[in-house]
Amino acid sequence: MSVFAFDWYMIALLLFAGFYCMLASRSIVRQLIGLEIVSKAAMLTVISAGALTANLVFAQALLITMIVIEVVVVAAGLALLVKNFRVKGSADIWKLDSLKG
Amino acid sequence: MIYHALLFAAAVVFAMWAVMARRLLTSAIMLALVSVTVSLIFFNLGAPWAGVFELSVCAGLITVLFVGAVSLIRHEDEKHPESRARFYALPLALAAFAIAAWFYLPEFFDALAGWRRMASGGGTIGLALWDLRRPDLLGQVLMLAAGVFVIKSVFPRRTEK
Amino acid sequence: MDKGLLAYLLIPLLSAVVIPFAARNRPKLADLLANVTLLAGLVNLLWLALRPSVIAGGFADIPGDGFSLLLVSAVYLVGLCVTFFSAWFLDEKLPNRQAYYSLILVSVAAMTGVVTTTDFFTLYVFIEVLAVTSFALITTDDSGAGLEGALKYFFLTFPASALIIAGISVLMLSLGSLSFDALRVFMASDIPSGPVTFGAALIMLGFIIKAGVVPFHTWTPDAYQGAYAPVSAHLAGIVTKISGVYAIIKLATLLRFFDGRAQALSGILMFLGMLSIAVGALAALKQTDFKRMLAFSSISQVGYIVLAAGLGTPLAVMGAIFHLFNHATFKTVLFLNSASLEKSAGTTDMEKLGGMEHSMPWTSWTSVVALLSTAGVPPLSGFWSKLLIILALWEAGLKTYAVLALLFSIVTLAYFMMMQKKVFFGRKSQAAESSPEVSAPLLAPAVLMSAVIVALGLLFPYFYTYVKMVAERIIL
Repeated sequence: MSVFAFDWYMIALLLFAGFYCMLASRSIVRQLIGLEIVSKAAMLTVISAGALTANLVFAQALLITMIVIEVVVVAAGLALLVKNFRVKGSADIWKLDSLKG
Repeated sequence: MIYHALLFAAAVVFAMWAVMARRLLTSAIMLALVSVTVSLIFFNLGAPWAGVFELSVCAGLITVLFVGAVSLIRHEDEKHPESRARFYALPLALAAFAIAAWFYLPEFFDALAGWRRMASGGGTIGLALWDLRRPDLLGQVLMLAAGVFVIKSVFPRRTEK
Repeated sequence: MDKGLLAYLLIPLLSAVVIPFAARNRPKLADLLANVTLLAGLVNLLWLALRPSVIAGGFADIPGDGFSLLLVSAVYLVGLCVTFFSAWFLDEKLPNRQAYYSLILVSVAAMTGVVTTTDFFTLYVFIEVLAVTSFALITTDDSGAGLEGALKYFFLTFPASALIIAGISVLMLSLGSLSFDALRVFMASDIPSGPVTFGAALIMLGFIIKAGVVPFHTWTPDAYQGAYAPVSAHLAGIVTKISGVYAIIKLATLLRFFDGRAQALSGILMFLGMLSIAVGALAALKQTDFKRMLAFSSISQVGYIVLAAGLGTPLAVMGAIFHLFNHATFKTVLFLNSASLEKSAGTTDMEKLGGMEHSMPWTSWTSVVALLSTAGVPPLSGFWSKLLIILALWEAGLKTYAVLALLFSIVTLAYFMMMQKKVFFGRKSQAAESSPEVSAPLLAPAVLMSAVIVALGLLFPYFYTYVKMVAERIIL
């Protein structure tokens, strides 16, 4: 097994842990944590693919943009969380069931 | 190679810990540790710029944001703790997945690596960003503007009643 | 990136940044600035595309591939309708009025970026910007339902982004480049495709989730129903179409589905499209809320576009592009009218409404035009796009899909007939007694869009020439 295959195998495990967290949890904060783990795994794939093809400069240029995006996404998610908490007094995603049909 | 493998194992362990921790604050800190290990992996793969950004922004800034939000809602969250059983099942589920995947995924990824196309890979980050990825820089500007307006819209300045 | 259309991205961005400063103490100025920006852009675009000399020349002078120009026009058209409607709809005391307009302008800029880019990673960047602006827009009015819709959208759309990034890494590894042209050239050559189609399939899966195709549709009805009323028109009319469906059509043409190099992917895509059509239409039959029914109908219409994109022959791609544009027109009318109903009658529950035709004739009749267009009744524009899609399916020998698509088109007509009877026609209900027609400025966008629907239907030969030109340019 090459180093690359090992890397991606571990990345697959990280992805699994992140998705598991998003599926199992009812708390919005925990779901955000799962999302963060998933996006860490996605970032690792970019750099690892760059390292394999000797294209690290390009991969890092992509990664810097991804990090900027991630900060804004997390800030937006936490803003939604805090607003939800203020309006409804809970951070529980399964209490969100007023819409049905 | 051993250092490299240990870093990956540490990232997975911290990720599991972040998912399973009882207190949200512990989760946030474990997430920061995942970030730190990921940035060490970046350094190890020869991507120092990515490592520096990951360390300062993801392990630093995002953790601060998380801890801030968690401390706002922690009080309420601890009053109604969610059932832990599903989280304690994570190591089992992950182990099952790891064993099942061991037979297929490495082989698949090895085949994938066999299809690789080497790049010339010269230049510096600044030049690559400016020459090759200029539209992305525009996207970043747009993203930051969007972030500012999102915060303004979600938390408006209340006028006096 | 298409340089010619860059101005349509930069000018809304500039005006979005200016609005909070200029309109700090004069909230009405924010309305004016946003409307003027979008109107100027739209007039400019119409001049580019509809000059008499360009029409006479069979649209050969259109810059770029024509597809981005068409979609930028759709973005500006829907954006203008929404801002114009909002200017009269927004509550005077809304504290974040300036931020609201800034966000709409940023989302218009981001959508322009999405449709003009020529690179997968840049596409991803702009789609993230679009997603972030949508959450804040959905929750404009601080309602619980809006927050719920926004959170559900959030937790489905970002895992999809992770899939897109994984696909981008695979492409970077196996193709060595992320530009659309590299993929097109690669697929046209006879190098064995290897993992390139796998990477493209991961990207495609991400966009299928973002487009709300069944089985990933659960967030769509909640987000549309919960969203602040004018925002739901923006969201359903254009945002989710650009952030998901556009990329699916683009990928379908880049992967050259018609020459069978990505046969499996094409088959899966067509199956999911058909499933969306069926599930959306059947679920819409049993809804009791006007907005929620429209949301399910939207899922079903997206199914038609995805089905056609999955087939990928030139005729099918023409149908998909045409239906994408039509969908923007008729869904905007319907959601804006649902906002009018909400403002006037105070509810969108179909059980409580009835006989609205008597008290709100304009709202009622523009809705009927849009409904008939959605259901594909000639000579409205929706008829032609559905005809193209079904013809393409028949021509490719997929007779089962063609017949099913036709059948579900009739189901669409059935649920809309039911809704018309419940909401607009029939005996005057209590709600109809007490709700007057909304003011003329609120009706103007719906009337304009209905005029576009009728005009596109009647002037179909011209539009056909345009779409044919687009299909030829993007497939060759």
